[in-house]
Order: sequence, then structure tokens, then C-alpha cells
Amino acid sequence: MSRSRLALLVVGVAACLVAGLSAGSVPLAPGEIWAGLRNADAPASVIVRELRAPRVLLAFLVGGSLGVCGAALQAMIRNPLAEPYLLGLSGGAGLGAVLAIATRAAGAWAVPIAAFVGALGAVALVYRLSLVAGRRLDPRVLLLSGVVVGSFFIALMSSIMVLSDSAATRNAFLWLLGGFGSSSWQSLGVFAAYAVGPLALLGLHARSLDLLALGEEPAQYLGADVDRTMRVVYGCTALLTAASVAACGIIGFVGLVVPHAVRTVARPLHRSLLPLVFLAGGCFLVLCDVASRVVVRPLELPVGVITALVGVPVFALLLRRTLT
Amino acid sequence: MGGFIRTRPSHRARFPSLVPLLVATVSCARAGAPAGDLRVVDDAGDTVAVHAPARRIASLIPATTELLFAIGAGKDVVGRTTWCDYPPDASAVPNLGDGITPNLEAILAAKPDLVLLYNSTRNAEAASRVRAAGIPALRLNTDALADVDRIAGLLGRLTGRKAAADSVSAAFDSALAAASAPPEAQAPKVLLLVWEQPPMTIGRGSFLSELVERAGGRNLFDDLAASAGTVSIEAVAARDPDLILTAAEGPVSFISRPEWQAVRAVRERRLVQVKGSEFNRPGPRSPLAIRELAARIRAAVR
Amino acid sequence: MIVEARGLTVVYGRNGRPALRGVSCAVEERRLVAVVGPNGSGKTTLVRALSGRLTPQAGTVLVGGRSVAEWPRKDLARQIGVLPQREEILFPLKVEETVLLGRYAHLGPLAAVGEADRAAVRAALERCDVAAFAERPSDSLSGGEWQRVRLARALAQEPRALILDEPTASLDIRHEMELFELVRRLVDDGLAGLVITHHLNLAARFADRVVLLSGGDLVAAGTPAEVFTPETIGRVFEWPVAVPRWGGEDGSPQIVPLRPGESAS
Repeated sequence: MSRSRLALLVVGVAACLVAGLSAGSVPLAPGEIWAGLRNADAPASVIVRELRAPRVLLAFLVGGSLGVCGAALQAMIRNPLAEPYLLGLSGGAGLGAVLAIATRAAGAWAVPIAAFVGALGAVALVYRLSLVAGRRLDPRVLLLSGVVVGSFFIALMSSIMVLSDSAATRNAFLWLLGGFGSSSWQSLGVFAAYAVGPLALLGLHARSLDLLALGEEPAQYLGADVDRTMRVVYGCTALLTAASVAACGIIGFVGLVVPHAVRTVARPLHRSLLPLVFLAGGCFLVLCDVASRVVVRPLELPVGVITALVGVPVFALLLRRTLT
Repeated sequence: MGGFIRTRPSHRARFPSLVPLLVATVSCARAGAPAGDLRVVDDAGDTVAVHAPARRIASLIPATTELLFAIGAGKDVVGRTTWCDYPPDASAVPNLGDGITPNLEAILAAKPDLVLLYNSTRNAEAASRVRAAGIPALRLNTDALADVDRIAGLLGRLTGRKAAADSVSAAFDSALAAASAPPEAQAPKVLLLVWEQPPMTIGRGSFLSELVERAGGRNLFDDLAASAGTVSIEAVAARDPDLILTAAEGPVSFISRPEWQAVRAVRERRLVQVKGSEFNRPGPRSPLAIRELAARIRAAVR
Repeated sequence: MIVEARGLTVVYGRNGRPALRGVSCAVEERRLVAVVGPNGSGKTTLVRALSGRLTPQAGTVLVGGRSVAEWPRKDLARQIGVLPQREEILFPLKVEETVLLGRYAHLGPLAAVGEADRAAVRAALERCDVAAFAERPSDSLSGGEWQRVRLARALAQEPRALILDEPTASLDIRHEMELFELVRRLVDDGLAGLVITHHLNLAARFADRVVLLSGGDLVAAGTPAEVFTPETIGRVFEWPVAVPRWGGEDGSPQIVPLRPGESAS
């Protein structure tokens, strides 16, 4: 990548992070923010250091991870409309969360852990269904099973919610709408620990993704281990997405739109695409989170609403560009 | 103050109707209200003819169930909701469902001569279907302390127990006045936390907010409207509440979460959790609820 | 012998008819083998079995003397370059990037593209006469140009053998000829080649050996003159044909399907 473009990229990312720190429910002057960062005793310090900083970093990491998952899935399933939540994840996470809330599972981390487990459970079920008659993972079946399993879990979740006589359970979906309001250095650390491995693995398989995008047959003839690559990509995206649901609920459109947007300005080869998508996805989600905090302050909107409101028109625009 | 309820007795009436506010000892003698149709305009603006006294009431609002028992009309209640948990005698009344989506079959099977529904848009259809079956249905607001006197008076007229209703109203009014604290400049700031992930609060005008204010506290988010919504922990930390109030079934595990430690009240463990349905609905128990709240708020900010 | 199949039997599904039954063939250096036959005769199945995508129910496939199943995918790609019939262009790449994909068989996941790789790409582009298109997006090419680019990609793998499945389907005369000439040149320069094609006449003119399949059986194998006889072709393709020669008595046989009323003369 050329020097000037790289510099532009660095500046862009830095600007987004600064924006994330500067904006929020509580208006703070730049001087206060800077003082808060440097000095633990400054009045704004708690807000800036304990609340905004981890929140901005977590949004960046999650946005980047979701973007990379979307790009990888789009290549693996050979469908430009692929998204991390295709794999039935949201249904599984929702069911896990509702069960944790309904059984009043103890502990501050009970619901996120249950959502994580539920998400992975759904993914495992989809995987099993897609191994039709013991055959290799078939992308077309994967898509269908993901939708079916997701719907099934959502139906289960809805029944539990409706039949429950506990208000907490009936409102469990609020957790899923989520957002970054509960970010802390701890949740950031946990997510980062989960994300490093899968992100690295996906990066290592970047070239295999280039080949997979051609089709299974050509990919195999060009030397790709199709089965292994698909299993790795599937597992990594499942883990990353499940971890992000546990960290901040269900945030759609990032994985769908960001890869396409990046492909309009960069080469589609994954060795360069994936890092760019990571950075772009991170910036996108940070900015969406800023909007969710600022638009109706001191109230917050669920960040998934912002990503949808922004994502849909952007997607329509991209579609027009590619079709004309 | 609700001015929606107007009653116009039919041909036998001798006294012009008044919005019932004060006890009139003379009208105790009139407790046996003239049998006949009352025309009532309910809180949704519908005019409904009710044959008084109603002797088989399906009370699908916990507040009206409580009031009906309080005015001595408990044995006239033939149906309640799952949430009607006070007084304990109410549990003997058949449960007709959760009242949020009314079970029409169950309601009609109880053969009521009056149905009371909460005034939500959802109940509009239920109300019209019940009326289409020939049974008067009223949609009532039971959200604020101001509704207590109004609804008690209405129920008194509808059940022919006006005297009892008036006396319940009077007792309520004086207990409320005694329990309410005068507004203070240094009232402790209270965060009303109704959900923890995402953190959600309710603003001024909501019932719990009203209780808190009468108990001598101040809603941290009283600049927001009643329904409020998700707030950021940042905003909470900046406004620095003196204590955090949660209701039964509300969030509890948030106190151990790392991001909440930015809030002083969490660090200092100034938390009050109130249990009991008297905190959910206005009624004769509200003055007690206010007293309890006042005591616990004082204890928490010490 | 680069690739050799012996007694291949492939059955799809549990109770299906065999797609291939006891078929043997070999792909050698400097030899172009054409595999021909009617629709459903098992030609594509043969390609899949030769390239290791399918496990035959019976028989062996050897690549460089070793069973194809033992070859790791990447190493196999450095031995055989296969051009399947179908390929989707999901995210269009530039021609040069497309050909670079052929080098992936030589690159580890962490290795960067080196000078050797770039040289191989340039060489492949030159040989296939698509160097002028290097910067063009692949979805802007004509059918013939796209096939040559795919061939260049296979060449970039630096294989010892090329296997092409219907490379000239839907190409016009000029592009057909250009492609076959190119393949012939590559084979003459040292590659082993196997082509599946519907074009019997082109097979006759360019191939050294022809393998004729019908219903999964190997019906005939040999030089074009040996295989393309009116009796054999007429029987297998179920249509009467005449087989005159092009370019004298020793020229290549050209198959002319007969209309009702016509006869070989």
C-alpha cells in the first residue's frame, strides 16, 4: 500500500478513536478529556478512563472482528449477502440469554456466558445439519440451516418469554439489543483474549479465501484444502461472533456492509482486504456507538439500530454502484 | 386530576352529580344508590351504560381489584388477573389470565356484568368485543396517586357502596398527606434502575418516581419523561446519585460489574431494593409504601 | 508418465450406474490426449478422478508414481494444473492477480510474493498471449480471453501436466483455434496434456491420442485415425457419419454427420 494511503488510514483510525473519547452522554471539553486521561484525580477521569476508553476500544475490536467475519464468510459461502449472523447465532444467543435470565442464574457474567454458549450451540447444530449424509460442508445447505436453526431458537426463546410470569424474562430481549453501555476494561480484556486467536487464524487463511471465492472445484485444483479451510473459517467466525454477542448483544450490518464498502476502494485479495476491513469495521462501529450516545442524550439508542439505519442506505448505494 | 368520569343517574335521581372528592356524611344514607343505568365516560373517552349496582365484576387491573376489596365489594369480584395479589382474599377469585392480552373466552365464561380493563391501546379491541357481547367494559388509568380517589369514587358508585368508597378515599388522603415529606432543597438524588443491561430508568410522572418524590427523594432523571429509556453509565456517574433504587425482580447483579464501579453509590453500596406490589400500583397501601421508602432512603444516605 | 489411471470404476450414489467402469488412461510428457464421448459418458468424472477430487470405487490413479490420494493438495497442484468447466467470478480481480492465484500452491501462508513468483506470472501471461491485459479486470474479458487467462493461471502453477475440461465450450472458431494452438505449443514445449472436448474434429487435428468413452466404458483408445472410424463413431454417438481425411490420405480424420439420404462417398 502506498505511503500516503497508509498515512491517511492511520489518521482516519486515530480520528475515530478520538471522536469516540470526545463524544458521549456527558458533554466534556477537550481540555477536560485530556486532563482526565492523564491525571487520575481529574474530575472527568472516571468517565474518560473507566467508561469511555474501554468502550471505544471494545467497539473498535468488535466492529473489526465482525467485519472480518463477514468478509471471510462471503468468500467461503460465495454469497455477497453473507453475514456473521447467518449461522443461526442470534437465535442461539437469544435463547441462552433468556434461559439465564429465566432461571435467575447468579453472577454478573451469567447472561453473557449463557449467550456465548447458546450461540456456539446453535452454530454446532447448523454445522451438523450441513454435513448432509456425512458429506463435506455444503455452503448452500449452510445458509439454509442457519436460517432454519436461527428461527427455531428464536421461536423457543419467544415462547419462554411470553409464557413466563417474570417481568425480567419477558423483557429479556432488551439484553440482546445490547450496546456498549456495559463495557469495562474487564470485558474488553476478555473479548480481546477470545478474539486474538480466531483473527490470527483467519489472517493465515487469507490466501485460501481468495481461492475459495472461485468455487470449491477451482480452489481445490489450485491447491486449497477446501474442507479444512471451511472448518477453520466456520469455527473462527462462530467463536468471534459468539464472543461479540456476549460482549455487546446483536449488532447487524457491520459484517455485511463493511467488506463491500472496502472492496470498492481496495483490492479484493484477502491478505490486504482483511486488515483493511478490520480497521474500517472498527471505525464504523466506533462512530455508530458515538451516534447512539449523542443523538438522544442522556438516553442511548441501541447501537444495532444505528448500524441498520446507516448500513441499509450504504448497502443500497453500493449495490447501485456495482450494478451500473 | 381525572375529570373524565361523569355520572348521570337516570330518571330517579334527586341530586345533581358531583365529581366525588370529599366525604359527605349525608350521602352515607344514600349508600343504597338508585338501581338503574349509569352512563359512565371511561378514561379512554368511551361512554358506557352500566347497570348499577354491579354484582359480578371482572376486575382485570390489580389496582381496581385492591380497591374493590378495600371498599367491601370483594365478594362481587368474579374474575381477576394473575397479578392481582392483594389482598390475600383475592387469590380465591378465579384467575382469568394475565390481563395484558385479555382472554376473552375466560372473561365471558365468568358471566360478569361489568369488566374493568387497563387503559392501553391493546385493550381497545378487547373492550369493544366485550361490549359487543352485551357487557359493559370500562378502560381505566391506574397509574398515578391522583387516580386513587377518582377510581375509588367510581367503583363506589358502580357497586352501590359510595359511603365505603368515600371513607376509603378520606383515609387515603389523610394518610398520604401525613406520609408525604415536604420538598427539600437537599433531597437525596435517587437513580431508579429498572433494567441493568442495558441500564434503563424511568423519568418524572411515573408511579415509582412519584413515590420517591413524596418520600423525600429526587429522581436522578426527573428531566426526562415518564417512559424514559436506556441511559449510559456515564450520565449516571456524572449526575452522581446518592442511592440506587431497584424494585423486586429488578437488577441486582450490576453492583459487581466493573463498569458500574464508576458510580459512587455503587462503590459505597448505597442500594435500596423494594419488594412488594404496593410499589407497583397506586392504592390504599401507597402511604405505607411511601413511609417505607422514606425510612430506607434515610438509612441509605446516612 | 505423469498421471496414470488404471481400471478406474466410479459409482455415484449407492445404487447408481457406474459413471466409469474399468477405464485406464495415461498422460505423458509431450503428448496431448483428447477424451471424447457423448454426454454422460463419464468424461468429467474421469477428470475428477484423475485430479483426486473423487475416490474411485475400484482402480488406482498415480501421479508421479504415487497414489493421488497420498499427495497433499498443495503439492498436487504443483504437479497437475486442472481447468474445470465452471468457475464463478464473485469478486473480480485484475488479470495479473488472477494468474497470481496460480502461485499460491508455491506460497506458504506467511510467505510474501517473491521475485520468482512474479517471474512465473509474467512468463505465464506471455505464453498465453494475455500480457497486454494484465491490468484489466477479469470480468471485462471476452470468453476466449478469459479462457487464456485461466490457462495462464494453471501455467503459473508450473505443473508437469495440464488437464482441461471442455476449454472451448461456447468459444467461436478463432478463439477455439487459438486455444488449441496454444495448448499444442505448451505440450510440444514439454507439458503433458489431457483435454476433454466435444469437438471431435479439433481433437483429431491436435491430439496425439484419443480416448473414446461411452456410458462409462472405454470404447476405443489410440491415434485419431484408429479411433475415428465411421463404424465406431456411428455406433457410439448413434448417428451415421462419414470420416473423410483433411490434408491427404494421411491427414487427420474429420467427422461429418450424415443427413437422411446422404451416404459416405
